[in-house]
Amino acid sequence: MFQFLRLEYKGLPYRWTQHDKRIVFYVFLRVSVPPWRIDLKMPKLTIDNLEVTVPDGTNVLEAARELDIVIPHFCYHEALGSVGSCRLCAMMFVDGPVKGLQMACMVQAQDGMVVSSTDPDAMELREHVIEWAMTNHPHDCPVCDEGGECQLQEMTVAGGHGVRRYRGKKCTFTNQDLGPFVQQEMNRCITCYRCVRTYRDYCGGTDYGVFGSRNRIQYGRFQDGALESPFSGNIIDACPTGVLTSKPFRFKTRLWDLQEGPSICPHCSLGCATIPGGRYREIQRVKAGINRETNGFFICDRGRFGYDHANHPERPRQARLDGQPVTVDAALLAAREQVAAIASKHGPDSVAFLGSPRSSFEASVLLHDWAKATGSLQLVYEAHQGRDRAARTLAARLGKQVRSQEELRQSDLVILFGADPLAEGPMLALAIRQAVRNGGKVVVIDPRPVALPCVAKHLPLPPERLSEVLMALGKNDLNAFEADERSLLESLVEQLKVAQRPVLIGGADLLGGQGVQALCSAAEQLSSEQRSVGVITMLAGPNSYGGALLSGHGPDFDSVLDAVQEGTVRALVCLESDPFREARDPARAQAALGHLELLVSFDSTANLAAQRADIFLPTRANAEMAGSYVNNEGRLQAFLPVIDPGVPIRETGAGNHPPREFFQTTPGSAPEADWLLLAGLLDRKLNLVELRESIERDHPQFAGLSSITAETTGVRLTARGDLPPAEEQELPHAATAEALTLMAITGQVGSRWLAHLSSPLAATEPQPYVLLHPELAAELNLATDERARLTTHFGHCHVIIRTDEKMLKGLVMVPQLWDTALEGMVPGGLLDCRLEKEVQR
Amino acid sequence: MNLWRDIKGTLQPFWITLGYLFKKPVTIQYPEEKRTPPPRYRARIVLTRNPDGTERCVACQLCSAACPVDCISMQAAEDDDGRRYASWFRINFARCIFCGLCAEACPTMAIQTTPDYEICNRDVLKLVQEKEDLLIDGCGKDTEYNYYEHSGIGVANERGGNEDEYGPVDPKALVP
Repeated sequence: MFQFLRLEYKGLPYRWTQHDKRIVFYVFLRVSVPPWRIDLKMPKLTIDNLEVTVPDGTNVLEAARELDIVIPHFCYHEALGSVGSCRLCAMMFVDGPVKGLQMACMVQAQDGMVVSSTDPDAMELREHVIEWAMTNHPHDCPVCDEGGECQLQEMTVAGGHGVRRYRGKKCTFTNQDLGPFVQQEMNRCITCYRCVRTYRDYCGGTDYGVFGSRNRIQYGRFQDGALESPFSGNIIDACPTGVLTSKPFRFKTRLWDLQEGPSICPHCSLGCATIPGGRYREIQRVKAGINRETNGFFICDRGRFGYDHANHPERPRQARLDGQPVTVDAALLAAREQVAAIASKHGPDSVAFLGSPRSSFEASVLLHDWAKATGSLQLVYEAHQGRDRAARTLAARLGKQVRSQEELRQSDLVILFGADPLAEGPMLALAIRQAVRNGGKVVVIDPRPVALPCVAKHLPLPPERLSEVLMALGKNDLNAFEADERSLLESLVEQLKVAQRPVLIGGADLLGGQGVQALCSAAEQLSSEQRSVGVITMLAGPNSYGGALLSGHGPDFDSVLDAVQEGTVRALVCLESDPFREARDPARAQAALGHLELLVSFDSTANLAAQRADIFLPTRANAEMAGSYVNNEGRLQAFLPVIDPGVPIRETGAGNHPPREFFQTTPGSAPEADWLLLAGLLDRKLNLVELRESIERDHPQFAGLSSITAETTGVRLTARGDLPPAEEQELPHAATAEALTLMAITGQVGSRWLAHLSSPLAATEPQPYVLLHPELAAELNLATDERARLTTHFGHCHVIIRTDEKMLKGLVMVPQLWDTALEGMVPGGLLDCRLEKEVQR
Repeated sequence: MNLWRDIKGTLQPFWITLGYLFKKPVTIQYPEEKRTPPPRYRARIVLTRNPDGTERCVACQLCSAACPVDCISMQAAEDDDGRRYASWFRINFARCIFCGLCAEACPTMAIQTTPDYEICNRDVLKLVQEKEDLLIDGCGKDTEYNYYEHSGIGVANERGGNEDEYGPVDPKALVP
């Protein structure tokens, strides 16, 4: 029976002594957990005479929080972990496995612990620690932006430090200019290291750190300059006091005057939780919300500083009918009647409906209902054909392969196929970094020089070959590749074999419908019974997936444009979309849409559709309305309004005090939620709760819509979409001799319409530039930062040369930049171009 | 002896009244005649200036937070030298209850109550006063305090130039 105890010692069987057996038995008793005591895994401890049971691995500070006992602390943060450096969370461990005065964040909760947070020794230590932290702190709370939400203020009060005893001189520091987003006031620093842990460890920034020693510790860059990380704004949230505050929000509002609410970021498809804050009829800032399934505790700078589109001075706030201002009701009536008139005169399919990835899910459903009531099959939810097909393919194919950002953070192998997270969904890059920090590996297969805040292997391949790689990986047949490509792919195959939680990431821009199809197929082929391979695809907007679920077998927008050109479609209803500039070929769209008899536009921004519409209805921005979005993993999330729309007081008062007159109504308050307008148009006078219930009744696949609330992790929809109709096989781009091949890409800044309308972000937009491989630049005799002339069939424009070694050699890349000469460079597809050195005259 | 007590009780009040006929009256004939309230009387609110003539208000919003009737509103802004000030500051005296909590909350001694109690007006808009109406040329009750001399973030003086500060440290120095 005890065969396993037979050991050999120096070639002879080892004789177990009585003493040995006793030790083994004792160790067995100590380490083994009898089944009736399995609940030991959930340690039960007593804090301030209250018992609490917490999961294994929880620290005592968290356990106390479970009981609503707040222990003062600075350096501990749930996402950053404990380091025990601020010494503020001292608690007295009265009885149990650990005894004495200990830092609560550094002690794991264990069974039988008896802890006191009110012990006189602990309280005295905390009081001294906070007094030390306050020694050099300036006397400037009235002019500090953190005032009202300052953790140092709260902890000083909680720590019991009331009267300053130190009468000596205080240390002072020199501030740095950290760029357009972050304002530094170093004198306020209490050296908790949270900014460095956020910026360097969590976000992977390299240009911000800590200098000096003892009371000369300075946080900052080596030299003045803008912070390089696209997640730099997170240090504003992380700083417990007013050292790092938001520059665009500087001196605007105190927290107690700010109207805040839980919202969802409208800038990409990831659906990160945000907390916008507004006052005086303008959105003034956005803070990261907490959703453990998506963004965790942080957001990217695009989400944080991209709120200003709601306050844009040119935002249309008045309903218009044939260029004349009218009431919203009159415009709604006209829209309904004119659309019905054209439908009855020319047949139902003469009216096309174009939804948008940035309208709420409720409005998207109502647009679907309007199209259905009209009898039209011309219903599209995305003007860009490739992005539309990608979203619809994903909604049809994504099953068990679906992964959330949280699951990505736990992944051990991440492969990016034609996905540039910093451009298409920045928070995904942060999630990938966490995967790497947890021991995961990253491989990027992309023609673009995909920058990530972590180490990654990069294989530049032309866009049309991405599907080829996916198919080859799925079938495990790499013979078609050249030797240098094959070596990386072979190691990838080996890694895929052993990976437990691999995730494939794609981007709608480069993959399109067929690429997403290949991505999902590869993931299915690579999945086994032991482990499933996940898929995440970045789509165009916050509700791309929701629109794709509703698209059915409808056409794509390019075929709608053909129908407009032919004259079969005579009216177009645009819900928060701009077909003139968002279609894959804007020149073709503008030519075709000139034939329209009726253009109806619902929008919150002054895009071309809104400007040219025969009937225009102003809608509310995301932070001004309640609604929901379906993110790129099918997660349905609700958001709530923060302020009501209106011309900001900053504008009505022209920077001075508000006008000294009385108004019956708020100026510029006409915009209504997109779903409310459509519900009114369809004669469904409903509130949001009733609307969601009626949607659930009419569309049983969206069950759960009426139960969602904001500030939760959301509900993952199980509904599946339909595959888009078969795509005409496009001929591969045949490069003509002497011409270069140009690929339009989504840039990190300046390529997103809403973000472009936000002044804090617009200030960081680059001059038009092209991206080249250094070798190609050398062949063309062009140097970095030199001015050049780019000629395409759109005409020519002046650009600045940028080079990057990681990108594919043969391509020239240009970012789409709104309101510049590169506005028409919509990602998707390749062009011929010429690039010449600018002749100095 | 009840009768004696009753007679006394009837006549004494008349006697007292008669006595007041020959005393100086306490009633003031307002508005012809005006009374001087004590210096700490809480009436019209003013914004005072530093001894050097600059505005004291830093638009910290504490007065508007303390105000129980929400009659104060303002917007903070930043001057070229980093000074925080109120780009506009409005008190609605039609709403004000003269409780003085704003003056009590003010960390810079900017907002102060004065004994000027004659504010009434038939036009409500005239009771909504802006910064130019509120700002006075003087320090009010505290003639010495200048907040930025003590704030410790280098606006009134150079960084580290206040009395209770060391000069800015050099974090890159190698001295231990």
